[in-house]
Amino acid sequence: MNEIKIDINHIAKLARLKMDEEQAEKFARQMTDIIGMVDSLPAIEGTATGLDPANPMTLRPDVVVVSETTREEILSNAPQVEAGCVVVPRIVE
Amino acid sequence: MKKDYEIIIGLEVHAELNTKSKIFCTCKNAFGGEVNANCCPVCTGMPGTLPVLNEQVVYSCIRMGHALGCTIHNICKQDRKNYFYPDLPKAYQISQFDVPLCENGALEVMLDDEGHTKTIGVTRIHIEEDAGKLIHDDNFSGSLVDFNRCGVPLIEIVSEPDMRSSAEAKAYLDTIKSILQYLNISDCKMQEGSIRCDVNVSVRPVGQKEFGTRVEMKNVNSFSAAVRAIDYEAARQIELLEDGGHVVQETRKWNDAIGENMVLRSKEDAQDYRYFPEPDLLTIVVPQEKVDALRAEQPELPNARCKRYMFENKLPRFDANLLVENRDRGDLFDAAAALGAPAKAAANWLNGDVARLLGERGLTLADTKLTAESLAEMIDAIEKKTISNTAGKTVIEEIMFSGKSVSEVISEKGLAQVSDTGALRSVVEEVLSKNEKAVGEYKAGKTNVIGFLVGQCMRATKGKGNPELLRKLLEELIG
Amino acid sequence: MLYQKSATELSAMLARGEISAVELTRSVLGRIEETDGKVGAYVTVCAEDALKQAAAVDSRRARGEELPALAGIPVAIKDNICTKGVLTTCSSKMLYNFKPPYNATVIERLNAAGAVMPGKLNMDEFAMGSSCENSAIKLTHNPHDLTRVPGGSSGGSAAAVASGETILALGSDTGGSIRQPSSCCGIVGLKPTYGSVSRYGLIAFASSLDQIGPMARTVGDAALLYNTICGRDERDATSAHHTYPDFTKCMGKGVKGLRIGVPKEYFGLGVTKEVEKAVLEAVDALRAEGAEIREISLPSTDAALAAYYIISSAEASSNLARFDGVKYGYRAREIDGLIDLYEKSRSEGFGDEVKRRIMLGTFVLSSGFFDAYYKRGKVLQQKIASEFAEAFEGCDLIATPTSPFTAFRLGENVDDPLKMYAADICTVTVNIASLPAMSIPCGTGADGMPIGLQLIGPRFSEAALFNAAAHYESLVGGFNKIPAIG
Repeated sequence: MNEIKIDINHIAKLARLKMDEEQAEKFARQMTDIIGMVDSLPAIEGTATGLDPANPMTLRPDVVVVSETTREEILSNAPQVEAGCVVVPRIVE
Repeated sequence: MKKDYEIIIGLEVHAELNTKSKIFCTCKNAFGGEVNANCCPVCTGMPGTLPVLNEQVVYSCIRMGHALGCTIHNICKQDRKNYFYPDLPKAYQISQFDVPLCENGALEVMLDDEGHTKTIGVTRIHIEEDAGKLIHDDNFSGSLVDFNRCGVPLIEIVSEPDMRSSAEAKAYLDTIKSILQYLNISDCKMQEGSIRCDVNVSVRPVGQKEFGTRVEMKNVNSFSAAVRAIDYEAARQIELLEDGGHVVQETRKWNDAIGENMVLRSKEDAQDYRYFPEPDLLTIVVPQEKVDALRAEQPELPNARCKRYMFENKLPRFDANLLVENRDRGDLFDAAAALGAPAKAAANWLNGDVARLLGERGLTLADTKLTAESLAEMIDAIEKKTISNTAGKTVIEEIMFSGKSVSEVISEKGLAQVSDTGALRSVVEEVLSKNEKAVGEYKAGKTNVIGFLVGQCMRATKGKGNPELLRKLLEELIG
Repeated sequence: MLYQKSATELSAMLARGEISAVELTRSVLGRIEETDGKVGAYVTVCAEDALKQAAAVDSRRARGEELPALAGIPVAIKDNICTKGVLTTCSSKMLYNFKPPYNATVIERLNAAGAVMPGKLNMDEFAMGSSCENSAIKLTHNPHDLTRVPGGSSGGSAAAVASGETILALGSDTGGSIRQPSSCCGIVGLKPTYGSVSRYGLIAFASSLDQIGPMARTVGDAALLYNTICGRDERDATSAHHTYPDFTKCMGKGVKGLRIGVPKEYFGLGVTKEVEKAVLEAVDALRAEGAEIREISLPSTDAALAAYYIISSAEASSNLARFDGVKYGYRAREIDGLIDLYEKSRSEGFGDEVKRRIMLGTFVLSSGFFDAYYKRGKVLQQKIASEFAEAFEGCDLIATPTSPFTAFRLGENVDDPLKMYAADICTVTVNIASLPAMSIPCGTGADGMPIGLQLIGPRFSEAALFNAAAHYESLVGGFNKIPAIG
């Protein structure tokens, strides 16, 4: 079994997480252990299409029901609000 | 010596659907409005909320798939596309990845008025949700996020890299837009951003088999911008190659205001979207009968309608093309023709004055009071010489915007044509006396000057003189 | 004391007017006051609101209204279920101040039934853990031995029910988070069939595995609560179309002829001798009542833990991406630009276990590894589900241990995720296969700590689970015993 090398910094960047080297190393070790469980499993036949037509989804009729939740309630948890909007650091586009 | 290059273009069109409610919640699917006032816990990504798929979104996408001759995957699923951005409150977009609703279609587009067409392959059409909008304004301490657009349903139509010029791309986009309108599944309001596209461009020396390196351009917000963006990017790539450089695979951002693009991200920064099946939704299963029913409901599409106008109504391709440009215009034409209006006259009015008046006011036919009955009645009045063609221009404007009947307008404005030879004779005499030079030219054999004289008489009668009678009188009096 | 009684008894007393909902609520609030300083089950106590709810029920009853069975009964809620205007923290620094603007569907149903909510219960952060030690808010102690963990992630729910600090509680179960703490605290916990209880308003850990379920001191009480929360919800697309019986009337049918499968694979796996013995004794007791016991095999069991960690972490990495410091919850100070805001808020807001799973999930979904891990996990999932389906052709229910060992001591396993994960080994298969399963007490270990028997059934077999569990409960003379705290 080939040892999988996890590029922990790349994964952290994708996940928008920051960590120091010590923690990164610890995570890499622990993650390698867990995926090692998968790598050590015998090959199983089959494919996962992600489709299960035997259990179809009920779709919603196209009807408007205006939410009872007000804008103030929607924004009430936001750390920074101005002019009815959530504020984020300025983005240069 | 400059080589000849071939430009390869592929397009990804995002069209907002005109369903009543959003894709995953029951908020109104509407443009604009007070910021963050058209949202709910679901579309703002509140923890614990769940999406419930709007059936109409699925049906609209299947309609488009039928119109583009796609295979319909009536058993499919949705997937999450994961990335962080403030306008995407869940930090993932619910889209479709490996099993889109529609796949492998094709679209025939007309390239010119001579009847040249080209078939552009359609790779896939899938459903997804729109993101919110960022507001950048120096008056605030940062960028503001408006979630109103979150959850507006979109279909994404991906073409094969089959186009070879910006003109072909424009023709493709125009056709896509008119089909969306014919199917009545999108409002296609460019100024509201309800259709947007990403453009993929590469170039290769003529004769080379392999594709060149592809550059993706974002932020192309109108079809005319697409033409400019493609021409700019193709020229940029050709210049690079001519200078001995090479094209780098990257995503660039088009800035239409300055007519240039710039690097958004390089291939190395390519995002890893980590698509996986959306666990909050089950398998989409549309019964085959429903798929078939949606096909049966399909209206006549622009290409077919254009051919009908050419072959059945005997209209020139140019007129036919203009008539089908939007569905309302063609529908009105069909209705007027059914009432007996001559095809060429009806087409001329609709493509000419009516289109001009709408364009000037930024309106659509639906915003006016013009009906097939009033149009046919007016054309009939001209045919019967009750009014002149010039007076018709006044009438059409009135019946479009005031809603008065044709006869009301004619009588109120005194537009009925003067066919009284006695009354016209004095007008003609006066015109002739004021235009001795033209009379001389006519006598010298330059007979087409008669048109000018007729025009002068029409002006003198304020458009009420019957032009044929005037011509006769002019010829008589000069001769 | 009223707080010691079962919901079933209390419901009858309320209906007969022998007690008022306010008296009952005061009794429970008094118990919280008395013991929660030691147990630490509650993140938020809603004394005032609870008394108001109770008074409303009393006045409705006084007007002669006929009320649902749950009217006036205290039901405490795990802190990952959204309660409008009431802190819902997921025991995370990330949501330390989050007050949802809406109610979860289960809360709407409890409100409609007139249930009283004494408060919100501690848990492992974002439901990731098996000991409640991953809570960023506080430690919860096992009421049977305060030096031990209550299990997790619904540790607060289990401890509150076991200590009498509530009559009933809701937990959530993604890989054993209802059953394992129920086992550790000696109570009854049901992880229902996937799709039977709406997830709308449950702050997601792993959407395809999460399920809300009842926790109680008696089987009948669990049935009473399950009656109220199950059923189709249009706001949850994964909610099943199914007709449910009155589960309180599904018990007392005996176990004669009931075919109980005992899978040998569930008795390796680091299961201690005392746990194995207690579980097999419980099975024997059912055999003596006429049940047929069959040895069965579920060969892919040891692969389930791997499949579980891959699938649950993948979904979690996506579900928890929305916590970014922008719309709600914790936002880091001293930030330099958008990316920094994201990275600092998330790194400071999430605890280690959550980060570890987000990292793992991000990795298994990332380009180049998706097929080897996520897709493989899904194939394993199908395999496990089909093995269960095959097993249920030969038996009606399956009996296993809930947890391989009794509650360990606080701090004992904190630094060893793999060992901690082993606590889930008997329970994760049930979530992977979307099945219902119940944990009920079946004796104690040498340390005096409760041991749990897990009964697993086919999809929508909750009635059979309640019946078998209630039968065993009556055989042992009832479960409803509140330990002395301290």
